[in-house]
Amino acid sequence: MKNNMEHTVRSYEDELALLDKKIAHMGGLAENNLGQSFEALERRDPKLAETVIRSDRAIDALQREIEELVISIIARRQPMADDLRHVMAAIRISGDLERIGDLAKNIAKRALAIAHETHPKPLISGFRHMVELALRQLKDVLDAYAERDSQRALQVWTEDAQIDAMYNSLFRELLTYMMEDPRNIGLSTHLLFGAKNIERVGDHTTNIAETVHYMVHGTLIGEDRPKIEQVSNLDTMKG
Amino acid sequence: MAVLTKDMARYGSRKRSSMIAMGLCFSATTVGLTMLTIILGTLVVKGAGGLSLAVFTQNTPAPGNDGGLWNAIYGSLLMTTIGVCIGTPIGILAGTYLAEYGRHTRLAGIVRFINDILLSAPSIVTGLFIYTIMVKPMGHFSAIAGAIALAVIVIPIVVRTTENMLLLVPNQLREAASAMGMPRALVIRQVAYKAAWTGILTGVLLAIARVSGETAPLLFTALNNQFFSSNMNAPMANLPAVIFQFALSPYADWQKLAWAGALLITVAVLTLSILARWLGSRS
Amino acid sequence: MNMFSKDTAANAAIAGKAERISVKDLKFFYGKHLALKGINLPLYDRQVTAFIGPSGCGKSTLLRVLNRMYDLYPGQHAEGQVMFDGKNILDRDLDLNLLRSRVGMVFQKPTPFPMTIYENIAFGIRLYEKLPKSELDGRVESALKKSALWPEVKDKLNANGMSLSGGQQQRLCIARTVAIQPEVILFDEPCSALDPISTAKIEELIDELKSDFTIAIVTHNMQQAARTSQYTAFMYLGELVEFGLTPDIFTKPKDKRTQDYITGRFG
Repeated sequence: MKNNMEHTVRSYEDELALLDKKIAHMGGLAENNLGQSFEALERRDPKLAETVIRSDRAIDALQREIEELVISIIARRQPMADDLRHVMAAIRISGDLERIGDLAKNIAKRALAIAHETHPKPLISGFRHMVELALRQLKDVLDAYAERDSQRALQVWTEDAQIDAMYNSLFRELLTYMMEDPRNIGLSTHLLFGAKNIERVGDHTTNIAETVHYMVHGTLIGEDRPKIEQVSNLDTMKG
Repeated sequence: MAVLTKDMARYGSRKRSSMIAMGLCFSATTVGLTMLTIILGTLVVKGAGGLSLAVFTQNTPAPGNDGGLWNAIYGSLLMTTIGVCIGTPIGILAGTYLAEYGRHTRLAGIVRFINDILLSAPSIVTGLFIYTIMVKPMGHFSAIAGAIALAVIVIPIVVRTTENMLLLVPNQLREAASAMGMPRALVIRQVAYKAAWTGILTGVLLAIARVSGETAPLLFTALNNQFFSSNMNAPMANLPAVIFQFALSPYADWQKLAWAGALLITVAVLTLSILARWLGSRS
Repeated sequence: MNMFSKDTAANAAIAGKAERISVKDLKFFYGKHLALKGINLPLYDRQVTAFIGPSGCGKSTLLRVLNRMYDLYPGQHAEGQVMFDGKNILDRDLDLNLLRSRVGMVFQKPTPFPMTIYENIAFGIRLYEKLPKSELDGRVESALKKSALWPEVKDKLNANGMSLSGGQQQRLCIARTVAIQPEVILFDEPCSALDPISTAKIEELIDELKSDFTIAIVTHNMQQAARTSQYTAFMYLGELVEFGLTPDIFTKPKDKRTQDYITGRFG
């Protein structure tokens, strides 16, 4: 779907390419941080958690760079049509990736907080599946962006329901766990927030998928995303 | 360095040839200007000597008598005025046709071509032509024939300048006027003429300057008249013919008057040219 | 996704808009050369429609058909239909001057007539109406006000129109056009000879004029088309490639040629 025809002005072409490069770089960092933050949680590795927290700054810096680049492109090139959608998509996607980076940082902080507590195995493995799925979705959507592949973006968008479903089941398990023994409440709350963070990563990934679709076609994904998530009374955390 | 030396050599030879060319141009200009200065100088010196109030008040004398050029000045003014009055409207209308209505037509091309021939035709041809079609049938020379001969010379000049000046009016101006729903005739009258009038007037002035010195056509048509006459149907005195006659005569006082007449024509032409230039630069 | 949501305002505008001029299967010939290859296009009432496209695409030609400007030149002719108020503009027996009084035109280069500012405007009015002096003064003033020139020239109405700056001259030309109360105004690259400030003033003016007039504008400046128009027509090689709401054309054109042109990819 990528437009093979180059712009008459080469430096414009170069700037748009640089934008994609920075998005790819940012996406890679976000993926990496998300994966490592969960690893820090799972392995109770405070050092790794701190690395993740530190490296979030690089993501923030990249977001600023992308914003500046986009603003400069708008001011100097007055992008139109697919170029306009491209730069708007880049600025939106960088926002989503920055949020994903923050969510990873938040998980890393929670990993620090519960580094010295034993984790209940089944809960962690449910959590792990969720993270793996979120990571795969994120990678897919970034590929979809790089290749202007709206089909793939649509798939990511549809599959977000799975993450929501996983979150809901994890939510119920954690509730049960807390009810079993009030001493579990501290750890469980951290895990619950962590899982909620992953669920939000999924939401941001979905946003990116919608953006990619808009970027490619100039139209919105037809219908509202199916909400499988059943909002329970206790679920006041929905962002 | 080798490259630089080579270039310098080429540059040097170019510079030399440029200098030579410049030198030639300069000397040609000098020669031309010197000639002109000598002519004007002689004219002013000899002509001013013959100038007096009598030149403007008395008629051409018999040899040895006192006299002036009044009948010739009057005749020249009259015939030039009538000639211009006949030639200018025809010239402007024809020029308007060429520039506005017929611009791309075949007829305009033919008219333009013939007009160019007429423009550069020797004026003696014009004189002979009028002689053949007017003087011969009428059986005598006449001022009106002279005026018409001058008109024939005026027409191609005015046609040319009118056409050129109208062509200089940007087409957008015509389009803009037409786009307001103006009929074509109004576009030409109100917009094109308004934009081009100084140029057209300049052309008319130049035409006057040109005909006021013409001798040949008048010799065949108005001839000359020793006396004052305002009868258009009879021969009439005029400056060029008088100058011609007096300058070739052996009498010193006639020759003096001839110089004065030449100076008068030159000053008149110069004034018209300056006026035309001033008008041209103003637009 | 609010930011990317459909331009509902523009969509609302498209509904219920009457076609002021309807171009149907219009072909145009310069001699034997076919310059417009069957154009179909509406000009909506009191909307601005921009014609864009590379040089030689036929956009100016199309504009010049709408007031039969091409009639000034031999060897040019049009076929098809251009319906305006129930009549075909291309009809041979149409009164051209009457048509041009209803479809005004403003040109690329400012073309004030070689007369005073006042006369530049009064002249056109007098072509169609015989008014007493006071009424004529009022019409001249209102035309100058409509074209946002009044404050700048009210004290020098007797100055020559040529003495104004380029931008003022162009507004004088607009005033002159407005004064004869046309229904449609055609702009042929009205700002290409003007500086950015004068350009902005003309664009503001076009925006104001659209409440009274149906406007078509040819421009090489795509941003200008995007800024001033509600509808955009992209033309290429004598064909109308794409026509639509301006926000759509500039954010999501359907045809790849449109996209490549407006994004600066044209080879």
